[in-house]
Parts: sequence; structure tokens; C-alpha cells
Amino acid sequence: MSVADALWRFPSAMMAWRNLGRNRMRTALAALGIVIGVVAISSLGMAGVALQQQATSNLGSLTNQVSVSAGQDSDYDGVTEEQVEEIRSIITDAEVIPQKTNSTTVSSRGQEAYVSVTGVTDAAALYDVSRGTAPERLQTGALISNSTAQQLGLELGDPVEYDGHLYRIRGFIDSGSGFGPGGGRGELVVPISGLADQDHYDSVTIIADSGDAATETADTLEEHFNTDGRDEEEVLRVSSYASVQENIGSFLNTLQLALLGIGGISLVVASVAILNVMLMSTVERRGEIGVLRAVGIRRGEVLRMILTEATFLGTLGGLVGATCSLAVGAVMFQVVAGDPAGVLQWASARYLLYGFAFAVFASVLSGLYPAWKAANDSPVEALRG
Amino acid sequence: MSVIELDDVVKRYESGAQTVTALKGVDFHADRGEMVTIIGPSGSGKSTMLNMIGLLDTPTSGSVRLDDHDVTDFTEDELTEERRTNLGFVFQDFHLLPMLSAVENVELPSVWDTSVDRRDRAIDLLKRVGLGDRLDHTPDELSGGQQQRVAIARSLINEPDILLADEPTGNLDQDTGRTILEEVTRLKEEENIAVVAVTHDEQMLDYTDRTVRIVDGVIQS
Repeated sequence: MSVADALWRFPSAMMAWRNLGRNRMRTALAALGIVIGVVAISSLGMAGVALQQQATSNLGSLTNQVSVSAGQDSDYDGVTEEQVEEIRSIITDAEVIPQKTNSTTVSSRGQEAYVSVTGVTDAAALYDVSRGTAPERLQTGALISNSTAQQLGLELGDPVEYDGHLYRIRGFIDSGSGFGPGGGRGELVVPISGLADQDHYDSVTIIADSGDAATETADTLEEHFNTDGRDEEEVLRVSSYASVQENIGSFLNTLQLALLGIGGISLVVASVAILNVMLMSTVERRGEIGVLRAVGIRRGEVLRMILTEATFLGTLGGLVGATCSLAVGAVMFQVVAGDPAGVLQWASARYLLYGFAFAVFASVLSGLYPAWKAANDSPVEALRG
Repeated sequence: MSVIELDDVVKRYESGAQTVTALKGVDFHADRGEMVTIIGPSGSGKSTMLNMIGLLDTPTSGSVRLDDHDVTDFTEDELTEERRTNLGFVFQDFHLLPMLSAVENVELPSVWDTSVDRRDRAIDLLKRVGLGDRLDHTPDELSGGQQQRVAIARSLINEPDILLADEPTGNLDQDTGRTILEEVTRLKEEENIAVVAVTHDEQMLDYTDRTVRIVDGVIQS
């Protein structure tokens, strides 16, 4: 039994397939409209996902950090030892890392680089190193940012001088991405004893388990040290990056909705094109449909036949469109995130499915009226042509 | 017993502000094995009459009986069912579907009914009208006479009681028309069906058993 014979058992599908084959150019153009719609909706959706992932990875680990520094109503020019102890007593479920900062010029082999200097004890909690180690208790060595090390030709174990002391480099700080304190500029990390001439800490970083915990920690500190309302007083300035991420996230969601909306419009345009094509082809075939009705084909069967045609158009356009979108998405992820395989993860791949489903749905919807009209035409009128 | 009967059938159309009465109390019957030809000038109501007999249209008053069952008040879906099981149609323009082969065109009225497989009967009918070697040809690969033979085979696929022919020779030359009429006459006897035809073609009267003349919506003889 041939494929055609097998299809003949599903007469609506068979007739629909043959009808689409009669005017291939028209079928191809109608499907092309759907392809464009699907590509628009899928790739715009995926673009949103790519942007969102890019933003999240750029913000990186900052989102679960809270940064504390002296407020405008503080009596001191930094965070005092007592205040740090107080913070430690309130915040028990997160790491509290006080830091002192300064800036200086580091020189080696005749090259100079301007860097910010951070004095810290628990370097492991704050810094990721690309080579070497970031000790939990930094006592003698130093960390230096990759870019500065390259600029000055420094290797692990080389000495750097700060404030009359020599420190051996124990690790290179991974500074490729991210923003926040010190971001972008070269950075030198030394033991906190290296900045012993500064009485107070410039900032305290608190690392919580998650973005939500960080927000909670920030609120707790805010409430403890500062007062709101008329006698507003800011002893400590508390800032968390979780809210930054939330803001960016909600902005990106809005952007994505807008992008999907634009994609949706093109699919609406495409379905109007299908409506037109189906209407034209049923008007052209009016006599034929009259014959079908005369020889005893039921109204529901005519309806099903024409709806199947629309479904085929949508499926065809949707499949081609989803395939094209996959390629577009891979290119987009390559450009934005540097990894074309990112398109395959569910967060972005689902837009292919949405695009396809929307295409089939829109096509069936646009097929409804022409199908209904053809099925309910009086056979006598239809036979007259 | 008559297989189809019109009893005092009146058909009125609203045409703009006017009411046109196309049939003014028409009585008609046809029996199995009989070929009845309806003739009359254009606008006389013969097409309307054929539509009534073919259950494509319903009368304003009067009754239509199919095989002694009153089908006057049948719904559109019930009439569709009756057309499928009891009637066959042959048209002046053949009206074959261009994307289907000859055998698929013949099978068409039966394919939506998945309870029967009429492929063998379709092939048999095509052989009987002399197209056994043209089964897989599409209509544009067939001559006018061959297309009308396919249409005749299609009209018989569901083993109807009545074959309705609207100007079956109208688009054919005289010789081809004659062979088509011979075919219809032979099948009418083989299948024991009633044939009701509307025509302008004088030579059709040579094959007909009875002629009904209609003028201005009234049967003359």
C-alpha cells in the first residue's frame, strides 16, 4: 500500500494535502508569512532570555552581598571596630568581612600601575582567583588583579611593595567581569595589618546565602543603626545589590514582553494573510465544494477538510520557522553570551515551542471563517459557481 | 413503484423586491430502469425541478417522496445523507477534482465513510465505462468524453437508486455525446436505476423512455 493509499484513509487530510499542492506558489507564500511570524516571535523571545542571562552573569555573586560604610550622620570617617562587632552580633548567619581601602602606585621593572588597595583578612570569601590561592586568613601575602599583573609582568611569588612593606603575590584575582567596588581598576589586596594606620574600616561586606537573605540582612541593619521619619539619621550606609538585580530583572521582563508583542504582531499579520489565502481558495473552489456537497459529503467533512488545510499551512510554516529561529537563536547566544549551545536550554528553547504552537493556533483560527463559509454555502448556489 | 415522486411542488424565490415562482405545482415521478428527460426553454424551471429531484433544494409547498418516504421536511444533514446513499450526479462540466486521479475521483463520494472500502467497485466501474487503462490519470490527462465517463462512474459508486444528469452531453461533440448516452442507457439497465436528465440535446430523446416538457413552471405533457 502506497503512502497515498494510506493517506486516503484520512480523507480530510488527503484532500487538504492535495489542495495545498495545487497552487504551490500560493501555499509557499502563505507559509512564508507564518515562517516570518514564528521567527520574529521566537527569536525576540530568545533575545530577551539571552539578555537576561547576560545581565545576571555580569552581576554575578554581587547580588547576595550587602555593603556597609559610614553614613552621613556618623561621628567617624569609617566603620568602627565596635560597630563591626555589633554587626557580627546581629548578623549571625552570614559572613561579615571588614575592609580598609586606599590607593597607590605599584611599580615593577620600570612599569607603573595605579591600583586600589584593599586590606582584608578573609580574602577567600571576597575574591575568586584564576591562579594561585586566596587564603582565608591573609597574613603576609598579597593578591593582585590579572590585568595589573600582566601589565607589570608579575608572576606568582614576585614581591610588591605597599607602604614600605613587601608582600609576595599569592594569587591573581579574576577580574574579567563584574562591577561593584574596585571593578574595572587594577586591584591589590593586602593583609589588613598593611593598612593599620587607618583607624576605621572603610567598608564592611556581608555575604549572605542568597539575594533574598541579603535584602533581609540589609533591612535588619538599616533598622538597627539608622532611624527613619522626621529625625532621619544615617549612621551607616547600607546598600545591597539584590535590589539592583531585581530592578534590572523587571526591566528585562518588560523589555521581553515588548519584544514578544512585536513578534506577536507579525504573526497576526501572517494569520490575516492565511485568512485571505484560504478565503480566496475557497471562493475559487466554490463549484468544487458544491459538487462535494451534492454527492453527499457532509458539511462537517467539508469544514474539517478546509481546517486541515489551514492546520497544514500553520504546521509547515511553524516547523520551518522554528528551524530558522533555532539558527538565529544560536547566532544570538554566540554574540551575546558567547555560547551558541545556550539556545538549547529550556528557558530559550521554549520560545521555539511557543512560536510553533502560536503559528498552528493562529492558522486554525484564520481557517475557521473560510471553512465555515464554504461548508454552509447552499449546494445549489455553489454549483452555479 | 416510483423511486422518486414530486407532488404538487411549488417553489418561490425572493429575487430583490419581486417574488419569482419557478415551479407552479409540479407533479413528477420516475421508476427504476426508466430514463426520463426533462426539456423546456431556459428559465422554464427545469433546473429548479432537477434540484428538487436531486434533494439539493426544498420546495415552498408540496411534497417530495424518495422510495416512498416523505423527505420534504428533512434537515440539510439528513438530505446530504440521502443524496450520498441514494443519488448520483452527472454535471455538464464534469466537475471532477483536478488533483485526484480517475479512480480517486470515482471513490470520492464514499471515502468519508470509513466503514466501506469502495476501491474495488471504483476500479470495476471505470473498467465498465472503458477506462480500465486510465485509472491513475488525472482529469487534465483525459478527454472530455473520458472525463464524463469518470463522472458517470463516480455517480454510481454508492449504488444509488437515481442518476441525475444536468446537460450530460452539453460540453461534448455529437459522437462523444452519443457514446456517453449509450453508456448511461447500458448502466441504467445493469444497475436497474432511474435516470432523470435535463437537456437541450435533441439526440438525447432517442435514448429516453419518457419526456417531460416544462414551460414557465408548469408541466405541459
